[in-house]
Amino acid sequence: MAMTDLAMRVAWPAEGVARVPFVVYSDPEIFEREQSHIFRGPTWHFLGLEAQLPEAGSYVLADVGDTPVIVLRDAAGDIGALVNRCAHKGTQLLFVPEGKVKQLMCVYHNWCYDLGGRLTSVAFEKGVQGRGGMSPGFSKESHSLARLRVHRICGLIFGTFSDATPDFETYVGPELVANIRRVCGRPLRILGQYSQLLHSNWKLYIENVQDPYHASILHAFNSVMKLDRLTMEGGVVKGAKGWHHIAFSKMTTDRGDEIYGKGPMRSAEITAYGHGLRDPSLAEFWDDFGDGVSLTVQTIFPTFVLQQLRNSLAFRIVVPKTPTSSQLYWIAFGYADDDERKSALRLKQANYMGPAGLISMEDGMVGGLVQRGIGGDRDKCSVLELGGNDIEPIEGSRASESSVRGFWAGYRELMGL
Amino acid sequence: MAAASDTIEAQHAAARALLCDYAGVLDDGPLEQWPTFFTDPCLYRITTRDNERRGFPLSIMLCDSRAMLYDRVEATEKANIFEPHTYRHVLSESRVTSAADGLLRMRTSFMCARTMRDGDLILFATGVYVDEIVSVSGQYRFRSKTVILDQSRIDTLIAIPL
Repeated sequence: MAMTDLAMRVAWPAEGVARVPFVVYSDPEIFEREQSHIFRGPTWHFLGLEAQLPEAGSYVLADVGDTPVIVLRDAAGDIGALVNRCAHKGTQLLFVPEGKVKQLMCVYHNWCYDLGGRLTSVAFEKGVQGRGGMSPGFSKESHSLARLRVHRICGLIFGTFSDATPDFETYVGPELVANIRRVCGRPLRILGQYSQLLHSNWKLYIENVQDPYHASILHAFNSVMKLDRLTMEGGVVKGAKGWHHIAFSKMTTDRGDEIYGKGPMRSAEITAYGHGLRDPSLAEFWDDFGDGVSLTVQTIFPTFVLQQLRNSLAFRIVVPKTPTSSQLYWIAFGYADDDERKSALRLKQANYMGPAGLISMEDGMVGGLVQRGIGGDRDKCSVLELGGNDIEPIEGSRASESSVRGFWAGYRELMGL
Repeated sequence: MAAASDTIEAQHAAARALLCDYAGVLDDGPLEQWPTFFTDPCLYRITTRDNERRGFPLSIMLCDSRAMLYDRVEATEKANIFEPHTYRHVLSESRVTSAADGLLRMRTSFMCARTMRDGDLILFATGVYVDEIVSVSGQYRFRSKTVILDQSRIDTLIAIPL
């Protein structure tokens, strides 16, 4: 379908990024266009961690949209990213999620590639006993694996398919680079991984992450336990072009009992009979960065999240599976120099996050509620007007959806919608 | 650990009764009884086979005291929001990996189906319970229970413990 046809059918309302047409959350043609214009377009994607690639030949698999990617350390120790697809038939070359290899050999017909993605041999290239073999014009040099451009920062590996993608630091902006250095600026230790199947379009998840409005409302545990409230000192910092964001707060600065304890909010009902935590050890935390900031949630357009929730640290990435389903991957981490007590507390605070997260649990389901709610009325829109209509953050406030609108500014620009 | 005085057969039977009652509470309630199956302190964890294999210590859920188990119950019943659903656990025979000094170590496979109110029924989780069971004042309890899931991908969320 030609772009103009798609743009006409989507018909973005005159209110701009303060509205999102429901059709973008379920339309198969839009899903396809996202693959070429966003995932294989001028964007950076989180691919993995250097800590996952300790030796030459170590690899992990990643998905950039629906394109399978191998992230590996080559013989010289450099990190590269290759499309995980044999040039012959398109077979996935590697199908075990992580491991170590000497070369990339396709199981189907044993085409072999070196760790740089160059095709080095083809089974029966010269035929058998002089008969058969590849056609005379066949040249191995012209069948290398497609490579992604790679950028590394603090042990995080990002990749992009497009030559048009600005360099990473320009793409995300200096404030976001600074926060990556803040949270990831010393040797990381991976604590573990898991993932969730979400019954919603990938954008409903990333909007949720960019939305500080819901955090203390939907996640009543947050407000009852006073972990994160909009009444704490905090704010939203925008990345380059407003596409990316950081929401932050300082939990020691809360003055919110009036709103959260007495207002027409669920937290007020719960506070009335709640005991708080019987075991206070879950509330124990320390200032990892010496700046009093107890929570930062950072996104990099389109699908990457860096989370610091007290001492519970994680990378998240949401991968689109179908127009109405996605998979959310988590990697929890601490630091190589964490002592026993810090390690134990980080593992305990991991109760906040993931599929059973005391705080994050609802994020796994609320996108599905929206997905079902918007069924049947594809011509209608969501309304994003908290904090105005534009993508500018409000100084010192998180009572705004400007970061969500910023996501949609990037989305519209890349999709031409 | 008074169970040392019980015969191994009696210990095994008591441990199986504990497992059976435990699954019954998760499936049919009341969830407030869940913490009573554990000693205090205790260790309750849900993790994945993948994390275990790679030596990653991360848990999906972790409680190390009865108070923390009660906190989880309270959050599940009062704070967390999720679509109402029920579990049905099916347990295998248990393999006793060690039995000495009143401490019984057992591995029991489980399958857990999840049913939503609209009738949607899926095989939600399979895995193994790695249990340490002791007798405290004649009552058998889990000193530790590690739920190792076969899958590392969870459908939507885990609200009710496994």
